[in-house]
Amino acid sequence: MVAEDDLVDQLKQADTQSKAFEVLINTYKERLYWHIRRIVLDHDDADDVLQNTFIKVFKNINGFKGDSQLYSWMYRIATNESLSFMKSKARKLGVNNEELHDRLANNLQADVYFDGNEIQLKLQQAIAKLPEKQKLVFNMKYFDELKYEEISKILDTSVGGLKASYHLAIKKLENYLKED
Amino acid sequence: MKASNKNNGFKTPEGYFEGLTDKLLSKIAEEQSVLPKEAGFKAPEGYFDTLQQNILQKIDTAEPKVIQLNPYRKYYFAAAAVAAVALVIFGINFNSTESPTFEGLADSDIENYFENNTMELSSYELAEVISFDELDINDILDNQLIDDHIIDYLDDNIDDLDELNLETDE
Repeated sequence: MVAEDDLVDQLKQADTQSKAFEVLINTYKERLYWHIRRIVLDHDDADDVLQNTFIKVFKNINGFKGDSQLYSWMYRIATNESLSFMKSKARKLGVNNEELHDRLANNLQADVYFDGNEIQLKLQQAIAKLPEKQKLVFNMKYFDELKYEEISKILDTSVGGLKASYHLAIKKLENYLKED
Repeated sequence: MKASNKNNGFKTPEGYFEGLTDKLLSKIAEEQSVLPKEAGFKAPEGYFDTLQQNILQKIDTAEPKVIQLNPYRKYYFAAAAVAAVALVIFGINFNSTESPTFEGLADSDIENYFENNTMELSSYELAEVISFDELDINDILDNQLIDDHIIDYLDDNIDDLDELNLETDE
């Protein structure tokens, strides 16, 4: 695997750019896909957002200063793209973000690309009810297994705040899953 | 405590104690969190194999197309134009240094602005930039309004159509 710094250099030079971009896509496609998918829930939407994310990365690589790691920068773009996608979608349907997420989570049962069991379905419905930040932190910590420090760089928030959000989220989700 | 079992005839299934620790530990782990470890999503088969090709193609062929998700978009541009003109006028009056001009703004910047900021334009604000004559009902609706649908709706919801005093050409 190419070191991240070298990859960034190669991405910025015209002659090595396309090869490096292929490496970049192959290295991050799955991680970013699942991250996006957990926010937008639908596969086709996740596909759109993922492709736009990579295109944005490609177009803006010259503006990447290297202050943060390449992958946290990409995660951040993917997160922003996913959130604005959901906002636009909600606006188009004339509902607010929470209603949209609720609706999508309730439709998962009919989704051919969701094969979760009853508990997993219920978990998605519970996540839908969380405030945006708790939702993001929960997904990134629980499913992506990112460290608080990494999440803090991606979301630009303090580690302490993230910990609080995560524990709140876990508590709410467990309560939701326990009640019947 | 004695682990042996002398004085009675009870016995356990073979290998019972060997598996017990693991069984208990996994049970405790389950008890601790009711949350499933997997989300349950899956991707279509072969999706990740073709993904790279799709993205490279998009970059090679054309600029990525911004899908218009909002039917009000064109009026936002009009509103932006009005705002930009106002900005230029005020800029000239109060400030002799260079002001941003509408021409200086890239379309994509304006589009991004509207995409990423919640614009709560009131009906009055919209009315100021859109002349009523140019406005078609289908500009606002996501679904096309067809005469038949209107008639159906009226049929279902209005008890006495005559009360509406509809004028027909017939």
